[in-house]
Amino acid sequence: MVGIRPKRLMSFYVRFGVQLLIIGLAIGICCGCGTPSAYASATGDSEGLSSLQSATLQRIIDEAEPGSVVVLPEGSYSGAIVIAKELTVQAADNVVLTNTTSSPAVMIKADGVVLQGLRITQEYADEETAAVLVQADDTALTELRIKTQGSGIMLRDANEAAIFNNEVTWYRARDTNGVSSNEARPRGNGIDLYNSRGSRIERNRIANMKDGIYLENSSQLIVEKNRIYSSRYGIHCMYIDESRIVGNIGEYNFTGAMIMGVKNAQISNNSFLKQNRNVYSQGLLLYDVQTSTIERNYVEGNRVGIYIERSSNNELMENSVYRNFIGIQMLGAENNKLHHNDFVANVIEAEATNSKDNELYHNYWDSAQGLDMDDDGISEIAYAINPFYQQMIADKPAFMLFFQSPGMAFLSAMYTANREQWTTDRSPFMHLNVALDETAALSSGDVVKERVLSKETFMLIIACMLLITASLTIIYSGVIKS
Amino acid sequence: MTDLLQIAKREIKIGFRNPWSYSFLVLFSVFSLCLLLINSRNEVSGYSGVTGSMLSLILYLLPLMALFLGSFSLTAEKEEGSWQLLSTYPLGTLPFLVGKFAGLSIVLLTIVTFGYGLMGFIAVLLGITFELNTYLLFLAFSCGLVLLFLSVALFVGSLSRNRWQALTISVMLWFFLVIGWPAILIAVLGVLPYLWIKPLLTLLTLLNPAELVRLFVVIKLGGGSVLGPEYYRWVSWIREPGGSLAFVLVFITWIAGSIACVYWIWERRRSRG
Repeated sequence: MVGIRPKRLMSFYVRFGVQLLIIGLAIGICCGCGTPSAYASATGDSEGLSSLQSATLQRIIDEAEPGSVVVLPEGSYSGAIVIAKELTVQAADNVVLTNTTSSPAVMIKADGVVLQGLRITQEYADEETAAVLVQADDTALTELRIKTQGSGIMLRDANEAAIFNNEVTWYRARDTNGVSSNEARPRGNGIDLYNSRGSRIERNRIANMKDGIYLENSSQLIVEKNRIYSSRYGIHCMYIDESRIVGNIGEYNFTGAMIMGVKNAQISNNSFLKQNRNVYSQGLLLYDVQTSTIERNYVEGNRVGIYIERSSNNELMENSVYRNFIGIQMLGAENNKLHHNDFVANVIEAEATNSKDNELYHNYWDSAQGLDMDDDGISEIAYAINPFYQQMIADKPAFMLFFQSPGMAFLSAMYTANREQWTTDRSPFMHLNVALDETAALSSGDVVKERVLSKETFMLIIACMLLITASLTIIYSGVIKS
Repeated sequence: MTDLLQIAKREIKIGFRNPWSYSFLVLFSVFSLCLLLINSRNEVSGYSGVTGSMLSLILYLLPLMALFLGSFSLTAEKEEGSWQLLSTYPLGTLPFLVGKFAGLSIVLLTIVTFGYGLMGFIAVLLGITFELNTYLLFLAFSCGLVLLFLSVALFVGSLSRNRWQALTISVMLWFFLVIGWPAILIAVLGVLPYLWIKPLLTLLTLLNPAELVRLFVVIKLGGGSVLGPEYYRWVSWIREPGGSLAFVLVFITWIAGSIACVYWIWERRRSRG
């Protein structure tokens, strides 16, 4: 099952890309069909045009009774709108709102607004300009499709919001030659919360933004089952209290989740995969995190699987750390409990410096030499983490070139100073703690079995050819007398 | 050209009748299979613990094999007097040396190919997921490593008087380039001013075929980011196709350079006796 996952994710990724393309085309066609008639009636001044159209949509909203349900008819609208009363705004199948002004496409100023199914294109390029800006409580944003050159959804002092099933992607502007013209522009965040308590962010999809989900100075948040791709940080928490980050998937971001200054959080069942492009990439980064629980996460193929710095009194359990360059890295992390985690096929399993009083037990390290005398599945030999390499590169980063060089392994093995102070797993497990299928279920997607098979056949053919060529050469030139 | 081909043919024949070749073939096949079986539960792709340990195995074993077979072949010429005999024929030193290199490379590449063929075959039979790109990358770079060290071996062979000397120098060089390398560099560069470290390290890495090949494979496997911010621009450059081209250029320069050196030494000995 393990072998299939990356392909599955890739296929999902491709499908996702195709979907985006179709949406993009649809928007293009809509804009193409919608604007000519508008142009005919307008004076030709595009500023005037957009204000005219936004006036239409704005009028629909202004004329609606507070507390009523407004269903927007199919079509394309433009300009910024403001919702300043309690309303439920639902969009029909194909409602596109394009905004070129410097104000947010939709601004919500009244409590209890519901916004559903709208497609928003925010064309004004500015990091700080959101497609949807919420400054009120009890807002529900669902099934929005946002393409933006700025930020996606921004919440400011907005409590108890529900943000479900939205899609936020970067709007790739093209110039007349079809060359992307805004590639280097600073991007905004997908979903950006500030000073907003008790919000729920669930099942959103975010791609190519700065931070997928940025949470600052808030508490009691629930971030669940979101998928974030190709952004800077998947989930970025700053000064968050008592929140739950559960079941999210991050791929190909710089860092899957950057958790900073957080207390009492629950981070579980997330998958962070393939965060390895950048020299500072991590799957899960914990900095100044206190009294939190990090459990049953799956980190695979990252530069560093789990990175913990200056964090204390946390509990990390039942995480699966697979195929990372460095499995877990600890720097000044104290009094944490790490147990029942699996470390498999990482190039370096663990590194720890200045990390005292951490309690490590019952983890599975696939390269550790375990010895189980009494058959209880627990090794009697402790597993100590050698800090030599990390200490060396801390002084002179140029020596990172020796990462896993055969000579480096030789040198580290000779270094045993202060062994009693090394971070040590006193009783490693002999077998895996977490069955993999459980975590594999997290990253859903279609299994492409046929291709795996044909690849195997291909491999078999190549291997046989190599073997036969080599054997023939040996027989022909070594064995047969000429 | 015919001289060169004759020498190469003779070398291949001798090479495949040399029990050393087969002992290395068995050693390489057995070790690579063991590694594969130990990691049979894991998929072999990208830069991970599995590919990391395979890379280490290759770096330990293949240079040693190339150094021994290559240097012994040249010293045997001297010890057994066949070079004295050949010298009486109108045979140039360059065709002789290039012929030797060509013949030996075919012997060594056959050993490597056999090992990989067997490994791939067994991997498929046992249902181990072995990504094709990773497999081919490993094959290509094992071949590259063998050829680079073969040119070093010719150098060793031309400097030594007999097999014993060749053996001693080979082991010494192998230990220095493969195992002692980081220790020596860390010790020496640690004394120098901080700003010199990176340029010197880069330069010295270009001179060590084992490190050169290792870093290239790590970067091509997608593990470049682990080398840290210091080498970020390098890594992203090598990842592109242009990087492979540059590697091929360095590779050719390396081999051509060392054959030129060997030619010079050999020619000097020939004229001075």
